[in-house]
Amino acid sequence: MPPAIETVDLVKEYGELRALQELSLTVEEGEFFGLLGPNGAGKTTFINTLVGLVRKTGGEARVFGYDVEDDYQQARDAIGVAPQEFNVDRFFPIREVLEHKAGYHGVPADEAADRADEVLKRVGIYDKRNERFDWLSGGMKRRLLLARALVTDPDLLILDEPTAGVDVQLRHDLWELVTELNEEGTTILLTTHYIEEAERLCDRVAIMNEGRKVTVATPDELKGRGTDTIAVGLESTPASAPELGPYAHETTLSGDRLEVRVDDGGSIAPRLLNDLEARGYEIADLEITRTSLEEIFVDLTEREDRSVTRSTAESASDGDESETSETDTPPKREQEGVA
Amino acid sequence: MSVASRQLQSLIRREVLRFVRRPYNTFLPPLITNVLYFSVFGVILGSRIGTISDVTYIQFVLPGLVVLGAISNAFENASFSIFHGRWNEYIHEVITSPLSHSYTVAGYVLASALRGFIIGGLIIGVGFLFTSIPFAHPLYLVSFGVVTTTLFAGLGVIGGLFAEDFDHLTVMNQFLLRPLVFFGGVFYSLDQLDGLAYTASLLNPMVYMVNGVRYGMLGMSEINPNTSLVVLTAATVVVLFINLLLFKRGVGITD
Repeated sequence: MPPAIETVDLVKEYGELRALQELSLTVEEGEFFGLLGPNGAGKTTFINTLVGLVRKTGGEARVFGYDVEDDYQQARDAIGVAPQEFNVDRFFPIREVLEHKAGYHGVPADEAADRADEVLKRVGIYDKRNERFDWLSGGMKRRLLLARALVTDPDLLILDEPTAGVDVQLRHDLWELVTELNEEGTTILLTTHYIEEAERLCDRVAIMNEGRKVTVATPDELKGRGTDTIAVGLESTPASAPELGPYAHETTLSGDRLEVRVDDGGSIAPRLLNDLEARGYEIADLEITRTSLEEIFVDLTEREDRSVTRSTAESASDGDESETSETDTPPKREQEGVA
Repeated sequence: MSVASRQLQSLIRREVLRFVRRPYNTFLPPLITNVLYFSVFGVILGSRIGTISDVTYIQFVLPGLVVLGAISNAFENASFSIFHGRWNEYIHEVITSPLSHSYTVAGYVLASALRGFIIGGLIIGVGFLFTSIPFAHPLYLVSFGVVTTTLFAGLGVIGGLFAEDFDHLTVMNQFLLRPLVFFGGVFYSLDQLDGLAYTASLLNPMVYMVNGVRYGMLGMSEINPNTSLVVLTAATVVVLFINLLLFKRGVGITD
């Protein structure tokens, strides 16, 4: 079975701006895959390329082995997408909107009606079935987008920021529902700003920045890449921070509290305690804080930004010796708002 | 029924229900407008004008008014539906579906042509209240009705895809369509024009439509109806081909 999504060197350019830069990504069938990235990272552009709302400039994109342009009908038939923006037909009651959408996928009229009722019940807005979209609350609108994505019984469900701006209850309802769908075999591609969401739901995540793939890993692998902090409470306030071994990346003393940044807090802690006791420090308490995925995300995207800035500056300086080869100026987020 | 047929049927159903459920916006205005036209141009002015080529003035203007109503509505339906869908982005429901490009064009064009055809029929119905209609060549009448509404539905698709604002739709309808219709021999006979104006009129596609429908309804035409039918059919094929090309390239829809 081909991957649910496979892109090779995918490029999208808007004039001078490169929204997707040689993006190669594979999402396996049945996977719950997260796309993380700041605004303008190219997440929505990537999704829209798959569903036919954006025409790629170069590279390849396939859905279950179907090319998104040459075999667009098969590729689109496999996808259900709940976009970030509300794009629902305002002319009809929502039940009919769902019937129409199912019909566009070739579902017979009577079955389309049954499916519409079923998904409206599933997302909890069946009692609003005869209302028009504009009369729904914000949370209900979000639920409807999910219902519309589900009414075609897709093999690949794409959720673009599904919980942006929704209340806690709805967020948890949505999490529960998409987890169920994934367990039933639906491949899910989720884009989100909420790191907790990706950490909680996704088998793997890709971090994107400025149209590039920064990394792909499981949430645990990503967290393993970060550093932990061991906070040690001391019985008395020492004059200065102790000199520790190379395992301590950074040592900070604040009153009687010593913070040591290490790679793996759990295994380093006994060694740290021994070292401190050997130097005469009396220990009152100890706490290990794991790096959050959010911190790793920020670290990775900032590192990517620095790398891009450096390479840009270097190439600019190639023809002009007077140019500096590195700059501390934060890179301009040219893609803001494009995705 | 095949999957593709069900897809097409769903799009046509959606498009037809959209205008059928809003009769105050779609059916009533042309009915009222044409009652006014018939009252003023037909009854009040017509009685002073007398006959043109042996038909009363009200009979003479009736085919032109039918064409005016039919093509305006066919054009407006397609252009508005597509543009409104683009404006509110719900056209994505269609675009992200597995409908083929040709069936997408067919869905919008057929539904819009149907609206034009229905409006044309309603205007004929209003005409019956004011005068008699011989329906000299009903097959020609239907053929011209089908071709002209399809042509303008196709033009409406182009308008809907290229428009960037609601104003653009108004401009197309009011400043392009209406002048062409009014100078297309609706209210006067081409025989009344001198050489240059007559020749210029022959460049106006409305002349062929009005004359074709007039031939079907009254049996009189200033231009050979078969020539008109061929010219209009060729224009329709070209416009539909352009529609297909625009959807394939995603003009106005994809980034």
